[in-house]
Amino acid sequence: MTTSPLAARKATLGYGRTVISEGLSVDIPEGEFTVIMGPNACGKSTLLKALARMLKPSHGTVLLDGKDIHHQNTRAVARRLGLLPQSPIAPDGITVADLVARGRYPHQGILRQWSADDERVVGEAMAATDIADLASRGVDELSGGQRQRVWIAMVLAQQTPLLLLDEPTTYLDITHQIEVLDLCAKLHREGRTLVAVLHDLNQAARYATHLIAMREGEVVAEGAPADIVTAETVRQVFDLPCRIIDDPESGTPLVIPSVRATNLV
Amino acid sequence: MTTASAPLRAAEGATVLRLGGYSIRLRHRVLAAVLGSLAALIALAMWSAATGSTSLGIERVWYALIGQGTKGDEFILWTLRLPRLATGLAVGACMGLAGALFQNLTRNPLGSPDLLGLTQGATTGALVAIIVTGSSLQVTTMLAAVGSLATGLLIWALTRGGDPSGYRLILVGIGVSAILAGVNGYLLTRTTIIDAFRAVYWLTGDLSGRDFGQAAAVGAVLAAGVLVIAFLSRGLDSLRLGEATATGLGVSVGATRVTALVTASILAAGAVAVAGPLAFVALAAPHIAARLTGSSRSFLCSALVGALIVTAADMIAVAGVGGRQLPTGVVTGVVGGAYLIWLLIAHRKKGVMS
Repeated sequence: MTTSPLAARKATLGYGRTVISEGLSVDIPEGEFTVIMGPNACGKSTLLKALARMLKPSHGTVLLDGKDIHHQNTRAVARRLGLLPQSPIAPDGITVADLVARGRYPHQGILRQWSADDERVVGEAMAATDIADLASRGVDELSGGQRQRVWIAMVLAQQTPLLLLDEPTTYLDITHQIEVLDLCAKLHREGRTLVAVLHDLNQAARYATHLIAMREGEVVAEGAPADIVTAETVRQVFDLPCRIIDDPESGTPLVIPSVRATNLV
Repeated sequence: MTTASAPLRAAEGATVLRLGGYSIRLRHRVLAAVLGSLAALIALAMWSAATGSTSLGIERVWYALIGQGTKGDEFILWTLRLPRLATGLAVGACMGLAGALFQNLTRNPLGSPDLLGLTQGATTGALVAIIVTGSSLQVTTMLAAVGSLATGLLIWALTRGGDPSGYRLILVGIGVSAILAGVNGYLLTRTTIIDAFRAVYWLTGDLSGRDFGQAAAVGAVLAAGVLVIAFLSRGLDSLRLGEATATGLGVSVGATRVTALVTASILAAGAVAVAGPLAFVALAAPHIAARLTGSSRSFLCSALVGALIVTAADMIAVAGVGGRQLPTGVVTGVVGGAYLIWLLIAHRKKGVMS
């Protein structure tokens, strides 16, 4: 088994009295692009929030490098693990360069506000996400796809080996979804460990190197897409009768939902 | 405007001062706004000291200041004007900071001690002092501070644990404010007409007759607040990106928010206790400062603008209407209210500042 920089151990997760997952254990394998998927309300975003220390398990622990993430200095954690939440807020009128520069927060201090390193890393993050040309533009003038790349650049400026992305493609049209996923794949190839929550099963199968399928707060299947995306698993996870064929573009599994009797009424 | 060959402009519009491992980033627009409001404040303060019911002129103010003026001039300056001016500056700065903190915490342009009930809490304290104990200005000041602070802590206690979004804070604040308004109304009906008049006068907010002791008290609150904010401001700035993003960046969101809420409550308590609830200063100052600094926020600028508003309003109050001086709170209320309406009209099309 590969080493796991980030893991949940018998974690009970929920909001207030509502329990979403009980005794959940998950290992995020190092160097993989892990995608967490499942139907609505299956607990996939909750798991991601717990892994990102936004949600504290009521029982059990989340381990970062083998130690309880809630017992570590939060700024030190922020230098190991970056997070792109579902709906981040861009302050009115902020420029692209300014927003990306916010990613340097965990590396800065009251008397260390802008080092030469900060300058260089922010430049590199903008170059890597192909937004250097937009540096002085206002974030609110950008298209949805560009804006998402700006947010990813901000997380990259954090310089973390681990990246967590909560539904990075939601609200984007198909072209921008692919653009963002291609960028994620590139970041993964460069050696980062990625964890993303995605809605689209076929996109998950195409881009992930490791899949975690969840249903009702539990992990139903886990492994390489080629191994676990089967008609049986899809029925188990989504209640969806389907056929699986090879994606003619990428060779990864492609889910084709069956034409059901109910659809013909 | 943008070309592919342009160099990476990660620190555009800012000057970075570096020394060894230390670095300070000065954003040009923020720097200009801070220096500009500081210059305006100094000019206004000098003008304020020189004018009034007796016009001294800058020259006589200067001689009185360095101890070479006439007895009369020195009395006017050191006993009548400077304590009032100093109190106004400190009160305005406290309110500007409190308003900026509350707007940041609630992520709402209306977040202010007035809306959240802190002012009502201070009023309850002051009314208890005036009506129940019939007591002096000192006790009134103390109880007003206690009332305001207690309200801040109550709001914090009621909002903790749950969904910590800005709306919750605002709604709880409005609820607490409504309850306290009822209590205040009850207290006013239970008193004599003379005490009721004194109470209403306090409720309007005024700076007349303040001495250096009071100025020093607010000044101490201000200094403590500035120190805390210096350490909080970077985290608060990250919180403007949303709580999830701030957590991801390594901000201790809970601790930052509690510290900011307590600090804002103390600042508001100090200011309201000494000057009464000068309406709208805490609301308007951060908006005007934001207009000056653009997308970056500056607590310092908000403090300076708050001091500017109170000083200017107090000069108008002293000049008065028809030869009679006004309570300072009347002026801040009228001017601030007009500003708020203008703000709402001007921003009808666009989402207001976050």
